[in-house]
Amino acid sequence: MAMVPQQGAAETFRSFCSAGYFYRKKNSSRKRQPAKMATGVDQAVGMSLVVFSLLLFTYYSVWVIILPFMDSDHILHTYFLPREYSVILPGIAAVILLLCIGAFTAVIMWKNRKPKKVD
Amino acid sequence: MTKLLEWLLGVSLVLAAWAVVSFDLLELRLPQSYREAAWPMPLYLLVSFGCYSLGTVGYRVATFNDCDEASAELLGQIEEAKQDLRKKGLKI
Repeated sequence: MAMVPQQGAAETFRSFCSAGYFYRKKNSSRKRQPAKMATGVDQAVGMSLVVFSLLLFTYYSVWVIILPFMDSDHILHTYFLPREYSVILPGIAAVILLLCIGAFTAVIMWKNRKPKKVD
Repeated sequence: MTKLLEWLLGVSLVLAAWAVVSFDLLELRLPQSYREAAWPMPLYLLVSFGCYSLGTVGYRVATFNDCDEASAELLGQIEEAKQDLRKKGLKI
């Protein structure tokens, strides 16, 4: 950040603050506008997330809670994997999620590294 | 009793109840189906919390309203602020 050479740090800070105050005063007079509906892609993505989470919740609930009380030869058992997978699959999903978060963080930090200043 | 201690007490009570039911620590001899249903409970609560979070985020994304005029006005004010600060000597 290049500063005007004559100004000290305190004066620059004060001029920035007054600029912010000026713009804050204008913001408080912004009128309330009539809100529009969300755009098409937003609605599609949001609704698909809601439907996916509901499906996942019902499938997992039936798998974990209802299936142990059904008889072994009930037809419902054909739609569900063996019970060991009800623990293994969320574990794998959690590991994959942590891997993605770690990779994303590493990429962002790699892009933002700055060479050290040489005085 | 601090809030942390209260939460820890509650969590440890729930965990103790779960351990007694799923590992049969008190020799209660519950039916096998009850034990099979209770054993993955912590993981099930975690998965249902994740589903709830995902559903809430998706619902809020779908119902978030656009305000076009406010967005244009804000962008204009940002431009004004940039020019004003440039005049005062800040490189943007």
